[in-house]
Amino acid sequence: MNASQSWVLVADDTVAAGLVEVARTLTTEVVAVVAGRLAVAEAVAHVVDRVVWLGEPADAPVEAFAPAVADLIAQAAPLAVIGATTPGGRALLGAVAARLQAPVLSGLGSVELADGHVVVTRSMLSGVSEHRTGVEGGTAVLAVDPRADVDTAGSPVPVEEVVAPPLRTARILDVKVKEHAGVNLDAAKVVVSVGRGLKAQADVALLESLAEAFGGELACSRPLAEGVDWIAKERYIGISGQHIAPDLYVAVGISGQLQHMVGVRDAKVIVAVNSDKDALIFAQCDYGIIGDLYQVVPALTAALRGTA
Amino acid sequence: MKIVVAYKWAPNPQDAEVRPDGTVDLSRAKSAVSEYDPVAFELARRLADATGAEVIGLTVGAAAIDTPLARKAALSRGLDRLVLVADDALAGADGTRLAAVLAAAVTAIGEVDVVLAGDSSIDVAEGQVPLTVAGQLGWLGLSRVSSVVADGEGLTVERDLPGGVTVLAVQTPVVLAATADAVVPKVAGMKDILAAAMKPVEVLALADLAVPGAQVSLTTLATARPAGGERQAVLFDAADPATAASQLVGALRQAGAL
Repeated sequence: MNASQSWVLVADDTVAAGLVEVARTLTTEVVAVVAGRLAVAEAVAHVVDRVVWLGEPADAPVEAFAPAVADLIAQAAPLAVIGATTPGGRALLGAVAARLQAPVLSGLGSVELADGHVVVTRSMLSGVSEHRTGVEGGTAVLAVDPRADVDTAGSPVPVEEVVAPPLRTARILDVKVKEHAGVNLDAAKVVVSVGRGLKAQADVALLESLAEAFGGELACSRPLAEGVDWIAKERYIGISGQHIAPDLYVAVGISGQLQHMVGVRDAKVIVAVNSDKDALIFAQCDYGIIGDLYQVVPALTAALRGTA
Repeated sequence: MKIVVAYKWAPNPQDAEVRPDGTVDLSRAKSAVSEYDPVAFELARRLADATGAEVIGLTVGAAAIDTPLARKAALSRGLDRLVLVADDALAGADGTRLAAVLAAAVTAIGEVDVVLAGDSSIDVAEGQVPLTVAGQLGWLGLSRVSSVVADGEGLTVERDLPGGVTVLAVQTPVVLAATADAVVPKVAGMKDILAAAMKPVEVLALADLAVPGAQVSLTTLATARPAGGERQAVLFDAADPATAASQLVGALRQAGAL
């Protein structure tokens, strides 16, 4: 094993700062393998010590490069491989994990090097328990939130092209680009979130007014983003959605299932509004109003605006 | 065409008992077909009905995953038959181990064209295993699949990705993991449950499968119960919503939360 190297797996996305950050805590040398466009490789070249670029993907999806990435990693045998918790990142990690017969560690808190071993803290079983885990016998394969764009202020290293043919079994025919509202829930101090208690899509406006009165952002639990599609998926809080830590989180018509609450565990103050006094959320909040959201939300909006 | 639906018989960690030292007792958490897997069953059934394919359910895990209830729960969701690997050697196995066994079972089933899976499991909730299965098989693996239909030469697959809905022409064999809302799964009726009892089940012995050995191992150095669960709810009665609202706003201002 090459204990001085960490490899980051970059899947056609310059949002990779989180991957490099973890790699830097483990080894002095950080190598990036880029399964994507040259422009992505050139951006990543500013923050790593070596960039291996697999060539223009043309109409191949990132996932088609997974076997080629696994080959490179198997040859390099680095101390750690760090990939993103994104669809493309998971595919590259899966191929690497299969080639190395190594587990993929996710839900990571701290990552460190102890006596030559990678040691992590990680959240287990949807966050009910935390483990401190050591990796033995080979490469540590880590799935990390890629977080932010790489900083391109520094001088870049040259991009090394290693032409690796992708699997030819899939061709991208079309991408219907989504209009992004530019949501940044991470930066919001107050987040107002709504769940299954909402009866109709038109009523989302009630919550938008409340969020505005709080000076915060609107978010939701999974059923309103997936399933009914009333609120953009980028605004969904939960185990496989956004994880946020606002100063104030206001959960309206949300029952408080574990898979939702794990996404706001680190909020400073949690407020719940729910008509069911036995809702799980009342055991996990700082303040609660037991009542019908259709009465409470307008009253709360008025109280905040001083118009009550 | 042969379609394998790889699913998990899993407990909901919400029902887990977490001890103060962070160790977890799942003995009182009932297992079920994992929350998002019925979406994969439904996608598989629709693809099979359109193409005349066979749908085979596949799950692997500890011996406890093979019960009459567990068999029926899967077979009543549009499967033609079921294949299981149930062995206590797989108790607590990590995702890469499970993926290796799933891939070996897919190879043992033979001539499989499509492996379909759900978005993520209710217990581990990472969405990693289907893509590791693809890695084990050396096939293309695509997650976030919102639609899959057969066309002349292969499949047309739509994926709901952060950058937009992506349409792909895909040749088999392939591993596909569905989004949680790709289709609304049909609820099993009495007829489906009765028919489930008649469908074939094959139990594969773990020892008979070609499963590569683990190369990297994990050691648990410490466990802890996560902080942040201790919140003391101050509750306001909304008999009069305006009063409750102003009490809450007052309390938030006093606490410095506003």
